[in-house]
Amino acid sequence: MSAAAGFDISHTAYLGPDGKLLRPLPDALAASETLEAFYRRMVLTRTFDAKAIALQRTGRLGTYASSLGQEAVSVGIAHAMTPDDVLLPSFREHGLQIQRGVKPEEILLFWGGDERGSAFSDQPDDFPVCVTVGGHAPQAAGVALAFKLRSEPRAAVCVFGDGASSKGDVYEAMNVAGVWQLPVLFIVTNNQWAISTPRNKQTAAETLAQKAVGAGIRGEQVDGNDVVAVAEVVGAALARARAGEPSLVECLTYRLGDHTTVDDASRYRDDAEVSGWWQKDPIARLRLYLAENSGWDKVKQEALLGECASQIEAAAESYLATPPAPPEAIFDHLYAELPEPIAAQRAALLEGNSDG
Amino acid sequence: MTDGAGDATFCLPDLGEGLSEAEIVQWHVAPGDRVVADQPLVTVETDKAVVDIPSPRSGVVDACLGEPGDVIEVGQPLLQFAVEAKRPDAGAVVGALPSAASATPSRVAVPAAVSAAESGVRASPRARQRARELSVSLEAVAGTGPEGVIQVSDVESAAAGAGGGERLGGVRRAMARRMTDAHARVVRATVTGEADVSRWSGTGSPMPRLLRALGAAVAAVPRLNAWFDDRAEMLALQSRVNVGIAMETADGLFVPVLEDVAGRTLESLTSELTHLQDAVARRSIRPDQLKGQTISLSNFGAVAGLHAEMVVVPPQVAIVGSGRVFERVVLADGKPTAAQILPLSISFDHRVVTGVEASTFLMALTTDLENDQ
Amino acid sequence: MAELNLIGAVNLALRRAMSEDERVIVFGEDVGTSGGVFRATEGLLEAFGPDRVLDTPLAETLIGGLAVGVAAQGFRPVAEIQFMGFVYPALDQMVNHASRLRNRTRGRLSCPMVLRAPFGGGVHAPEHHSESTEAIFAHLPGLRVVIPSTPADAYGLLLSAIRDPDPVVFLEPKRLYRMSTEQVEDDGAGVPLDRCTIRRAGGDLTLVSWGASMVEALAAAEMLAEEGATVEVIDVCTLKPLDRATILESVSRTGRLVIVHEAALTAGFGSEIAASVAEAGLFDLRAPVRRVTGWDTVVPLPRLESHYLPDLTRVLTACREVLTYD
Repeated sequence: MSAAAGFDISHTAYLGPDGKLLRPLPDALAASETLEAFYRRMVLTRTFDAKAIALQRTGRLGTYASSLGQEAVSVGIAHAMTPDDVLLPSFREHGLQIQRGVKPEEILLFWGGDERGSAFSDQPDDFPVCVTVGGHAPQAAGVALAFKLRSEPRAAVCVFGDGASSKGDVYEAMNVAGVWQLPVLFIVTNNQWAISTPRNKQTAAETLAQKAVGAGIRGEQVDGNDVVAVAEVVGAALARARAGEPSLVECLTYRLGDHTTVDDASRYRDDAEVSGWWQKDPIARLRLYLAENSGWDKVKQEALLGECASQIEAAAESYLATPPAPPEAIFDHLYAELPEPIAAQRAALLEGNSDG
Repeated sequence: MTDGAGDATFCLPDLGEGLSEAEIVQWHVAPGDRVVADQPLVTVETDKAVVDIPSPRSGVVDACLGEPGDVIEVGQPLLQFAVEAKRPDAGAVVGALPSAASATPSRVAVPAAVSAAESGVRASPRARQRARELSVSLEAVAGTGPEGVIQVSDVESAAAGAGGGERLGGVRRAMARRMTDAHARVVRATVTGEADVSRWSGTGSPMPRLLRALGAAVAAVPRLNAWFDDRAEMLALQSRVNVGIAMETADGLFVPVLEDVAGRTLESLTSELTHLQDAVARRSIRPDQLKGQTISLSNFGAVAGLHAEMVVVPPQVAIVGSGRVFERVVLADGKPTAAQILPLSISFDHRVVTGVEASTFLMALTTDLENDQ
Repeated sequence: MAELNLIGAVNLALRRAMSEDERVIVFGEDVGTSGGVFRATEGLLEAFGPDRVLDTPLAETLIGGLAVGVAAQGFRPVAEIQFMGFVYPALDQMVNHASRLRNRTRGRLSCPMVLRAPFGGGVHAPEHHSESTEAIFAHLPGLRVVIPSTPADAYGLLLSAIRDPDPVVFLEPKRLYRMSTEQVEDDGAGVPLDRCTIRRAGGDLTLVSWGASMVEALAAAEMLAEEGATVEVIDVCTLKPLDRATILESVSRTGRLVIVHEAALTAGFGSEIAASVAEAGLFDLRAPVRRVTGWDTVVPLPRLESHYLPDLTRVLTACREVLTYD
C-alpha cells in the first residue's frame, strides 16, 4: 500500500501574546510606521465596536454582531488588499470594511436597519455583508471569474467564519476556484464559536485550513491575533490568487464578545476560556511590542484614544442625525424600473400615509 | 462556568511604581455587560502610562463608579458588580421579540356573530351588478342558472316583467326617467275649458292656431312661460316662448322645440311645424332642437280624448293640451244650433302658479282661438 | 428565417445575444462540450470559445452564486440548471441574493442574470424531472419569471430576458421543446416582457394558461368553437410581474375565467390570477373562476402521469361548466 496523496498545513506567527517576537519580522512589515498604523487601525476598530454596542444598549442601534477580539484579522487583510480587489465579507468584518472605504456611519446605518448602509458611497464594488452564512462564497468565485475573463490583475476576497466552513456553498466555491484557477482568496476567521457551537463540534477536521485540500487548493493557518502574520500570509496568498492560484487561509482568533448583542455567550461558554483569550488580545500584544521597541508612550496613546473617540463619535452623530428614508423608498431599487402593478402598490402606500 | 463569586465592589488596584491615583480615560464596559476575568474594564491614565485595568472576576457590571476625567485613588471603588451573576436571558440571537402578559386562551371557541346581511340569495357578481343598475331586488328574482343561481338573464327578465318583455332603451327609457323625475318634484294641478271654434275656416290641424294663441296667452300671463329652479327656489320668466311640441313616433315620444312663437304668422308657424315633424319622422332631429322648452303643447286630440291631466316637466311650469274637436248643440239667441268645440286643458305646477293665473291664461288662450278665423 | 422548434429557438437566441453583447456568457452542467442535455447550447462553445461558454462542476448552489457574482461585476450570465427539479440548491442564491442585490445596495450593485431551466412534465421522465414549481419564483419580489410556449416567443422572450437589467428565471416547457416548429426570424427583436399575449380572440370565455398547457388550452378553444362558444386564449408569458390588465379586460367582456396549469393546485400561480380578478373584476364574473391543474400530489412517475396532468378532457369539462352560466 502506498500513499495516494498527503498534505501539510503551515502555521505562521511572528508576534506572541506577550508582545515578544517569535521570529524576526518580515522586512516589508518591520517599519515602525507600518506597525503603528496597524495598531491605530485596530484601536479604531475596537472603538467603533464599543460604540456600536453602546448604541445598541441604549436602543439606538438594532441587533449588532461584535468584532471584539478579531481586530488583527481585519487590519491584516485590509493591509494586503488593493483598492482594485473586491471584498465579500461576512457580518463581522467591520474593521475591514472601514479600511476599505466604507464609512463607519454607513456600517451603523446597516445595523441600525437602513438599506442605505450598504450603498457604500466610497466603495463601488465590494459586496454588502452576507447574512446567509457562506452564501457569498460562490459569489466570490463569480467575481473572480469576471476578473479572469477580463484578464484583470484583481482578486476577490471572501471572508467567512468557522461555522460557514461547514457549508456546502463554501466547498463548492473552493472547488470551482481550484479547477478553473480563479483569482479568489478564501479566508476563514476561526473565532472558535458559531453562536453556541464550539469549533470541535463543527467538524472532525483537525484544522479548517485543510478543507482546502479536498477542493484541490492550498490551505494554511495563521495566528489571527498576530496582525503581522495575517498581513504577511494574506498578502502572499493574494499575490498568488491574482496569478490564478486560489487558496484558503485560516486565521485563528477568538470571539471575545457575544454572537450578537441579543446573545449571552455565558450561557454556553466557560469564563475561564474567555479569560484565557483576553490574555492573547491582538491589540495589547502589539502595544507591548511598540512600547518596548518603538517608543510608543502615554502621549501617543492618549492622542490615539482621543482621535479614535472623536472620529467614531462624529460617525455616530452622523448616523443618529440621519432620518429614515421616506416610506416609498421600500419600492426603490426593486427593479431597474418599477413595473406597473407594483407601482400601483407604491401609490397605495403613499395614499395610506397621506391619510395620516 | 463560574458562579461569579467574589467581591461585589472592585476597587482600583495597586498600580505599582509608587502610583497612588489614576484618571479615568475610557470605560470599556457598561452596566448590564457580562465580563470575565482579565477582560479590560477601563483605561486609566497615570503619571507614567495609559493602562487598561482588567476585571478580577466574572460577573455582571452593575455600575461604573466614575466618569472619564475623574481621578480615582488606589483602593477606592471603581466598579460595582451585580449580586446576580447572570444577565436575564433574552431568548433570541437577533431582533427584539415583543412579549406581553397572558392573553385570553387562543383555543376558546368564539360564538359566531349574527349577520345582519340579507339571507342567502345566490347570484353571480355580474347579475348582482345588473340588478343594481336596473333597481331589481334579487329576493324577487327566480334563478335559472346552475344550482339555481341567479344569472344576468334572470335579472333582466325580472326587470322587464315575467314572460319576457321589452327592455327600455333610448327614447323610451329617457321618457320613463324624465316622467319619474317630474312626478317626484312637481305639484300638479289642472284647469280645463273649451273654445268654440265654429268660426274657424278650413280643416286641418289646430296646431298653428294653438301656437299663435299660446303666444297671446303668455303675453297675458307671462308667469306660465317660466323656469322654476326648485332647488334654489328661483322662478325665471322666459322672454321668448319656445314651445315644446309632443310628437309620437314608433320609437317613442319626442318633444322638439318651435322657438319664439310670439308675433309669428300662421304661415310661418305652419311651415316650421312641418319641418320639425319631418325631422322627427326621419330621425334627423338634432339634440339642440330637443332642448330649451319654456312651455309645452300636446295635441292628443289628434287621436282621441277631450281633457287630460298632463305631466309638467321641470323646469317648465305649464303644459297645454288640446283634445279632439267635436260637434255639440248649443243655444244661440235661445235657438239650438251646431257648434264646433275644441276642448282645452292646462296642467301647471301649483308650487309657483296659482289657479287664478292658470284660469286667466286659459281665458286668454280661449279668446284668441275663438276670435280667429 | 428558419423553421425551428422551441429548443432551436433558444439556441438561436443565445447565439444572437452572445454575438451582440460580449458580456453575455453561458455556463452550467454539460452546456459546453456536450451542448446541453437538450442541446440548448449546442455549438456555442465552438462558436464563442471557452471564455464565453463554461462547463461547471456539479453544483447548483455554485451555479446560482457564480451568476450573482459575475453579474455584479457587469457580465450578463445565462446560467443553466439542468432540470427544474435541481434548482432548489440555487434557490438560496435567487431568493436571498439575486432578487435583492439591487435593493439592498440601493442600486449600487445589480444582478442582470438569467437562470434557465427546462420544466414541466409529460415526457415520461424519471423522478424529479417533471417539476413545475414556477409559483415559488413568482412569489419573490425582485425577480421576473418568464415562460415561452412557442418557438418565436422562446427566441424573443429569451433575448428580452438577457437584455433586462434584472434577474429573470426563464422556464422552458420541455414537453414543447420539439413538439412543433415555426418560422423564427433571427432579427434580434425581443418580445416585450411583462405582457400577456392573446393567442386567440373570443367573447364567451377567457382561458388563461402558460407553458405546455397552452396546447390543451388552444385545443379546447378549437373544439368549443364548433359548439358555438368563442374562447379567448391568453398566454401569460411573463408570470411575474403579471399583466393583470390584459386578463381583466378580457374577463370584462366574457365574464367567464378558466385557468390551466400543470403545477399543483394549492398556491399555484392560478391562485394569483383568480385573486386578481376577484379583486378588480368581480362584477364582471358570470360564473365561478375555475382552475384546471395538477392535483395536490407529488407528480406521479410516467405510468400514472397522464392522470395527473390537466388534459384536454378536464379543460373542456371546466369550460363547458362555466359556459352554462349566462
